[in-house]
Amino acid sequence: MDKELKDFAAKNKQNLGLVSLDVPLISNLNVWVNIALIKQYHQNLPDDKAELLVLQYLRVYGLEHIANKQTSALTNKERFFAMLIRAAMVMDSIIVIDRPFKIIPDVPDDRFIYNALNIIYDSFKECHIFDYTWFKDRYRMIYVEKG
Amino acid sequence: MSGKKDIRMIDIIERIGKTSINATRSFRDTLSFAFTIILKMFSKNSYSSATRMVLINQIYFTSVQILPLFIGISIILGSLLIGIVFQIIKTLGLAEYLGRILMGLVVTELSPFVTVLLIALRSSSAINAEIAVMKVNKELNTLDKFNIDVIDYLFLPRVINGVISVVLLSALFSILTLTSGLLFSKLMFGMSLDTYSNVLLNSANFYDIVISLVKCCTFGFFITLIPIRFGLHATNDLTSIPIAVLNGMVDVFIAIVLIEVLSLILSFI
Amino acid sequence: MSKKVEVKVGLFVVITSVLIIASVLYLAYSKGFFTREYIYTLSSKSGEDLTEGMPVLFSGYKIGRVETLELNDQGILLIKIRIPEQHSKWIRSDSTFSLYKPLIGSSRLIIATENLNSPALSPKTIPEIVMVNDINESIKKVQPTLAKLDKVVTNIERITANLADPQGNVNKILSHSEKLTGNLAKKDTLIEMATGTPESAQSVNESLKKIRDLLAKTDDQVYGNDGALPLVRKILKDIIVKLEKINTALDNVVKISADASDSTKDLKLLRTEIDTTVNSIDKLVSDINKILPSKKEPEIKLP
Repeated sequence: MDKELKDFAAKNKQNLGLVSLDVPLISNLNVWVNIALIKQYHQNLPDDKAELLVLQYLRVYGLEHIANKQTSALTNKERFFAMLIRAAMVMDSIIVIDRPFKIIPDVPDDRFIYNALNIIYDSFKECHIFDYTWFKDRYRMIYVEKG
Repeated sequence: MSGKKDIRMIDIIERIGKTSINATRSFRDTLSFAFTIILKMFSKNSYSSATRMVLINQIYFTSVQILPLFIGISIILGSLLIGIVFQIIKTLGLAEYLGRILMGLVVTELSPFVTVLLIALRSSSAINAEIAVMKVNKELNTLDKFNIDVIDYLFLPRVINGVISVVLLSALFSILTLTSGLLFSKLMFGMSLDTYSNVLLNSANFYDIVISLVKCCTFGFFITLIPIRFGLHATNDLTSIPIAVLNGMVDVFIAIVLIEVLSLILSFI
Repeated sequence: MSKKVEVKVGLFVVITSVLIIASVLYLAYSKGFFTREYIYTLSSKSGEDLTEGMPVLFSGYKIGRVETLELNDQGILLIKIRIPEQHSKWIRSDSTFSLYKPLIGSSRLIIATENLNSPALSPKTIPEIVMVNDINESIKKVQPTLAKLDKVVTNIERITANLADPQGNVNKILSHSEKLTGNLAKKDTLIEMATGTPESAQSVNESLKKIRDLLAKTDDQVYGNDGALPLVRKILKDIIVKLEKINTALDNVVKISADASDSTKDLKLLRTEIDTTVNSIDKLVSDINKILPSKKEPEIKLP
């Protein structure tokens, strides 16, 4: 699975929006800065505008209150949303969710992920979820099994 | 017996050789890293809104936060130092050299040194630990995966902040020390404002200021660059953090001494 | 990012930068960086002791500095001096420019203006620099003193040579003084000292004794029945004269003993005189003896 993910990531490096525990939120930055960083760095978006944009996204998920929180203070779900929004910040983003149930272990199936993606569906180009095959029962969506 | 002795001697020589090679390699790597940072510093593409934000935050944590402490130290140290210098100069009958001593001592030596010491103790160690923690937490990997250049986003603002902070704080130290020296000399020795400022102005020269400026820039550059480099030496293990900080801070100290010695040599040429 | 942080950082950077710039500008202003400056060109046949940045003084006050030194096509050195506007009034057409080389310290260019009302020096005029060498001036001043000093040294040398020479005057005086004090310690009386031998002193004493005896006899004979007073009176007068001579001689001896620095030459003379006197007295005594025989019945031939 790792190899497929790596290959896919390498192939889509420029537009890759990775949601993974191996790509954590930066611990010394609060949530909104973590998310805004992508737009600020790649599109030189002024920090106030970037902040507003992030707040809009957070509002969609009803998570405005976590904007100024440190990453260590987040719940698993909040961390997942923050990572997802961050991935959506990449231009023409190809979101790749790596082992989502490792990030949100308390979630029973993919409905939570589906809903989360559905809310911001116009903010990304594609979304790919990589997970172990033994978790396939937790997915209601069509999945492609490789290797 | 002789054979054992020979082996020990060889071991010692080998160890010395290894240490020398490591030191040389470390020095070369630092210079090469410095060169990369300098190149990035002058590249327009290195700057973004994110970089600017980090820079502002860094200046805030390095300079603004310690400003009350720094001003206090400058005034107290300045008054005391100028008082002592006055007294010694008076006793030795070297009053005509007062300006030269004050300008030479405060502007070119004391200000950069006190500033760099304070910033190295406070910020260099913080930067070293911060980078090491980021490395251990795989946060540097995050930046890489999102195509964010760590040099542009993390290192450059820190190094620029080092240069700006040391230059500004050192200048502030000089101004505050010389001003508090004026008050002190007026109250304790009855020296008028005109006499004091004339003494200082006559001895002040732009060469001293340029030397001081270059020295501050070099200090600021290396006391942030070295901790960053050593922070990157951390492995994925948490215990590597203190080792990285320890090695980094020792090298920061060596760099400070080296720059100080070089500047002294430069000012005597 | 909090706006508060941005404001604080902004304030810090702005205030500190303004402070630094203000300090540097103030320094530059005080050092005359913003004043208009005039450049005058001077000439000199030699560039010796001239350096760029050398101070230019008027009445001992620094009014400018030497900007550049360059040679023209004729091989004459052109010196460009930079004078700030406020000091340019001291440079007039009759100003003299001299290069002053002090005995100790660096050279300086001195401007002297006798008449401040004379027209201002045109920057196109190229006056020549007069060389004033403090070392040569000092040597000139010191030369007469050195000549005198030379004489003094020669004298001192002679004196010290004299002192060192065992045959020298000083050593002679010292050895004479030594001899004299030795003699003074050895001799019993001043007469012995004056005459040089104890025999002479003895003879003087004997003579005096004889005189005393003679006087007693004379007394006897004069105041006796067959006295010869007129003749004796004449003879006595002669004796008195001789005795006065001895007195003088004795006075001289006293003088000599008091002043040890008198040479032995004088003493010899004195001794000769005393010897002569003593001889005369001897002769006189024998004459008296002849006139007044000690025998009971002598026949005195009266003149």
